[in-house]
Amino acid sequence: MIGTSLCRWANSYFAVAILWLLLAEGLIVVGFGFPNSDIGGPDTLVIVHIVCIGWVSTVLCGALFQFVPVLVARPLYAERLTLPALALLTLGLTVLLAGFLALGGHFNGPPWLLPFGASLLIAGFALVVANLGMTLWSARPLPGPARFVAGGLACVCVTAVFGGMFSLVLSGTAIGAQWPDLLESGVPIHAIAGLGGWLTFTAMGVSYRLLAMFMLAPDGDARLGRPAWLAGVAALTIGLVGGVLALWRMTGLNPALLLAGASALLSLAAYGRDVLGLYEARKRRTLELNTRMSLVAVASLVAAALLAAALLATSSFPLHVGTIAFLVAFGWLTGLVLANLYKIVPFLTWLETYGPVMGRVPTPRVQDLVAERRALKWFVLFFAGSWAATLMLLIDAAFGFRVAVAVVMLATLGLSEEFIRARRLADVTGPLRLPAGAAAPHLLVSRN
Amino acid sequence: MTIDEDDLVAQITQALKVVVDPELGHNIVDLGFIYDVSIDDGAAHITMTATTRGCPAASFLKEGVANSACLVPGVESVDVTMTFEPAWQPSMISPGVRSSLGFAEVN
Repeated sequence: MIGTSLCRWANSYFAVAILWLLLAEGLIVVGFGFPNSDIGGPDTLVIVHIVCIGWVSTVLCGALFQFVPVLVARPLYAERLTLPALALLTLGLTVLLAGFLALGGHFNGPPWLLPFGASLLIAGFALVVANLGMTLWSARPLPGPARFVAGGLACVCVTAVFGGMFSLVLSGTAIGAQWPDLLESGVPIHAIAGLGGWLTFTAMGVSYRLLAMFMLAPDGDARLGRPAWLAGVAALTIGLVGGVLALWRMTGLNPALLLAGASALLSLAAYGRDVLGLYEARKRRTLELNTRMSLVAVASLVAAALLAAALLATSSFPLHVGTIAFLVAFGWLTGLVLANLYKIVPFLTWLETYGPVMGRVPTPRVQDLVAERRALKWFVLFFAGSWAATLMLLIDAAFGFRVAVAVVMLATLGLSEEFIRARRLADVTGPLRLPAGAAAPHLLVSRN
Repeated sequence: MTIDEDDLVAQITQALKVVVDPELGHNIVDLGFIYDVSIDDGAAHITMTATTRGCPAASFLKEGVANSACLVPGVESVDVTMTFEPAWQPSMISPGVRSSLGFAEVN
């Protein structure tokens, strides 16, 4: 199959994800969770899981349903599984958050909330992994970027299994009581597999292909991305195996984490060098806003790696885990996702509206669906706010952090309006907007 | 190929200019996506490419090419082949369009 079709529910995934992001930002602005309360406490867990599952994982799943078929030039295994997966992920996260709120004493909830929410989430991720995994399986041997996605899918399984076990411990079940030390050694594994393996590794893989596509840079060299892939797999393996060994009290946790961290830095350095190489080899000199903002997000990831190295060197890393996590979650992942949504939403909208009439009537360009000058200010606010918030965490200025996140939230609202305008074809003027035979798209559901 | 057939090929090529690559915003003829157009007893055979294998736009482009060629008087049927050999290169873009797209001077 040469072309792949549109995923019907991709825009629904994006919309649900953005609502979760706005909720997380709103909670931080009103002072809920870290840094006003303990970084490992239930309130912070609410925000961490809204950001990691509700926002980044949901948007990543929607994007993967659309772009894994592009990466491997094969159709998605089962389009019909995408909506049930979204329902399970959304419901599961809602129940899980209720469980955390009950754990934090905000209301008197039953103890089964956490394991029940975790089970729904595991079922949702299982549908996602099965669907994408079967699509990848049909395309062996996998091209480079798709291998990163396969690694990411393996990691989300590890993350989900540990998350499920934690829910049994935290809710005080008899099974959970058999693992008294699970949280201490297991949380780093859960976080490494989730943030490092699933979210970052997958995003790296997809960005290789998307950046090359949008900059028209040659990415045919099979060696491209291999050092980043090998070092990344080494980092994840050392982190996960070391973590499990520490769990069985066979070794301490710190040596494994240090080795994994060093490999991760090597992987990120190789990735940074590859992105720079693609940028320098690009055939398209004038880059569109989405690509320029993706590069800014990559700069945030490099900054996070350098900051982590500096904090490790001065032995102050444990004090600033929250700062690094924030910069990775917002400056890198959220920035990269918003920049790419700014391309993906108009592109999918264009295909849905104008693809069927192509060749019969004149059609606009994808770029006619967006107004880059208007969107640029929101991106500037977003990155400035994210970096200011990181700085505020670094100097322990809790109120300053909330103000900076309010700026990030304003930018998110501004960009959300840009996405809605693209879906509504609001920036396409004249007869090109809806030529004969073309139908206006629905906001959340695509015709395919 | 007869003069009439040459003329029909020229007309088909002109008709294909209504198909625009959504990403690059120019018609696919000037972008160099059309590798070959030939006529065989009223049947048009078109060989074309796209920027990326697996791109969701590729099937729409193929359909658009078939639609626009069908509209040319004298064309009885259209057969479109999508190929990625050789792979499309920005050097295949016509010079005027290339500079307007902000492409590097390429080999």
